[in-house]
Amino acid sequence: MSDVTLATLPTEERTSANGNGRPEVVSLIAMRDIWKTYEMGSEKVHALHGVSFEVRKGEYIAITGPSGSGKSTLMNLIGCLDTPSQGEYWLNGKNVSEMDDDELARIRNQEVGFVFQTFNLLARATALHNVELPLIYGGIGSAKRHEMAKQALAAVDLADRVTHRPNELSGGQRQRVAIARALVNHPSILLADEPTGALDTHTSQEIMDLFERLHEEGNTVVLVTHEPDIAARAHRIISIRDGQIEKDQVVR
Amino acid sequence: MKFVETLKLALAAIWAHKLRSALTLLGMIIGVMAFVVVVSLIQGFNVYVDEKIAGIGTKSFTIQRFNPFEDFKDTDTIAAAQRRNKDLTLDDYEYLLQRTTLIGKLGAKARGTPAEVKRDTNVLEDVFVSGATANTADIENRDIAEGRFFSQAENDAASKVAYIGADVSNKIFPAGNPIGSEITIRGLPYRVVGVEAPKGTVFGIPQDTFIVIPLKTYANNFGGLVRQRSLFFIATARVDNQFADAVDESRFLMRVRRKLGVGEKDNFGIVTPDAITGLRDRIFGSIFIVAMLVPGIALIVGAIVIMNIMLVSVTERTKEIGIRKSLGARKMDILKQFLVEAVTLATIGGAIGIILAWLIGRVVTAIFFPTYLSLFAILGALAASGGAGTLSGLFPAWKAARLDPIEALRAD
Repeated sequence: MSDVTLATLPTEERTSANGNGRPEVVSLIAMRDIWKTYEMGSEKVHALHGVSFEVRKGEYIAITGPSGSGKSTLMNLIGCLDTPSQGEYWLNGKNVSEMDDDELARIRNQEVGFVFQTFNLLARATALHNVELPLIYGGIGSAKRHEMAKQALAAVDLADRVTHRPNELSGGQRQRVAIARALVNHPSILLADEPTGALDTHTSQEIMDLFERLHEEGNTVVLVTHEPDIAARAHRIISIRDGQIEKDQVVR
Repeated sequence: MKFVETLKLALAAIWAHKLRSALTLLGMIIGVMAFVVVVSLIQGFNVYVDEKIAGIGTKSFTIQRFNPFEDFKDTDTIAAAQRRNKDLTLDDYEYLLQRTTLIGKLGAKARGTPAEVKRDTNVLEDVFVSGATANTADIENRDIAEGRFFSQAENDAASKVAYIGADVSNKIFPAGNPIGSEITIRGLPYRVVGVEAPKGTVFGIPQDTFIVIPLKTYANNFGGLVRQRSLFFIATARVDNQFADAVDESRFLMRVRRKLGVGEKDNFGIVTPDAITGLRDRIFGSIFIVAMLVPGIALIVGAIVIMNIMLVSVTERTKEIGIRKSLGARKMDILKQFLVEAVTLATIGGAIGIILAWLIGRVVTAIFFPTYLSLFAILGALAASGGAGTLSGLFPAWKAARLDPIEALRAD
């Protein structure tokens, strides 16, 4: 039951009485010696070997690297879409590396807000319904759901686009719907995968301004990108190459 | 995820592909429709037969020349029965009447003859004229609309009185008021004493073009009571729970009268309501099984089509499944989503099939013969379509549920 009490404490105040495998300084994200191995026929491919890092609450970090570096694999692990072959991953005080599919689904629902390159909105659903999706799987009743989704849309300046479908919205607006969807459950991390990859420069700036604002409001933002100027807006940059951390530097 | 949410999702998905859903459901609709039509035809016929038997009186049996269940099996038994069995006579009737202790009412009837009926300029051909004793009106529960059935005294006196069907009344007396008027049957004048309530048509055959006259009058004016005019008796038991005993007694008395030895076959026939319903159940039991094959096959085809479309749908919506999983949908949520969609689709098909079958039933009832749409048929059809939907949705839903979220998100 110590998990519960620790999880309810502010992250900074959490320290562990070592010996139970929990990281000494309890961070929002703690990755310890993470390996991810794929078997391609008889060959074993190490997408990640021995990655360790920690992210504290309220950080704004970018994970960069060339394609094939393992940053997508790392993103899938951070987002709890996948589990590591080896190593420990603690997210918000919970050991995610040992969870089964349904527990991972629950963590994705409660702790992670995804923002994808291609938005990944349901084409037939309105902006409001798209934003409501995580709340539906979180088991929240329809009246409260509408209220929360409307608030989230208002937070990204889309209060007047509630009933629009994705094909009636511009690229930037679609990405803002996706961001509202990511935020609606108040997750512990906002995990964005090339969020500006499908947008023009001007719209990209708008979206990055939005991420900055969300960070200032206290959200923990993890940005995965291969574009240096996008990564440069983060406060800390982790560079990945050949499945390992090449550089981990605080830039501002 | 709540069931209502899942159901809403299913309906939205079905509505999003209206034409595809409709085509998918064709097999299910035809299957369920055929099932319900067959069941309502058979049940309609059963209800009709039951009503007819109730009309004759469930507690009555007939004694006649042949036993249709024994003698009409094939040409040999028919030939043997024709050699062996003799027409019943009025003397047989008197014999039974005097000796029976268990029969309540014993009536005698002659099978009918088509005859021409006239009044002034109104002529009606091929009216079915038959003779009967007065007490047959009670035994057969005749529904008298106007006047009365003729009396025992009128029969004994061979009076020229007639009890006519509704159709005869309408055509011969277009102005109405037939009671007491005179009509001409085969050139002889008869006085109308009663009119029967209309019965409509059964299997397209009108039931109201008939005349019943006293048996004695019939025998005098239409020739001997043989062949198509052959005599048969209808009887009720004196006490309800001694029905079987009354039947046995009649058989015994007839065998004594016909001087049949031990081991000799009956040379007459006794028909009980049980025998009629038994025969009906035997015939319709096998018809039912054969007739169920068609809807059964259509239902299986319908289920396969639904499974096929659901598999296509899962492939098409791989991305959607990935998105939902990334947002926290569990395996069970996805499984339920697709399973409920398949079941809803199939049940909508079932409901449409039932409505169409009901319409067909109404048309058949109006034109040919009565049908009966029972709750059993409706629930059976819904259960069958829902069950087929469950079976056909299970595999596609399972496929969708076990998709890897990363792979699914990568799909186009």
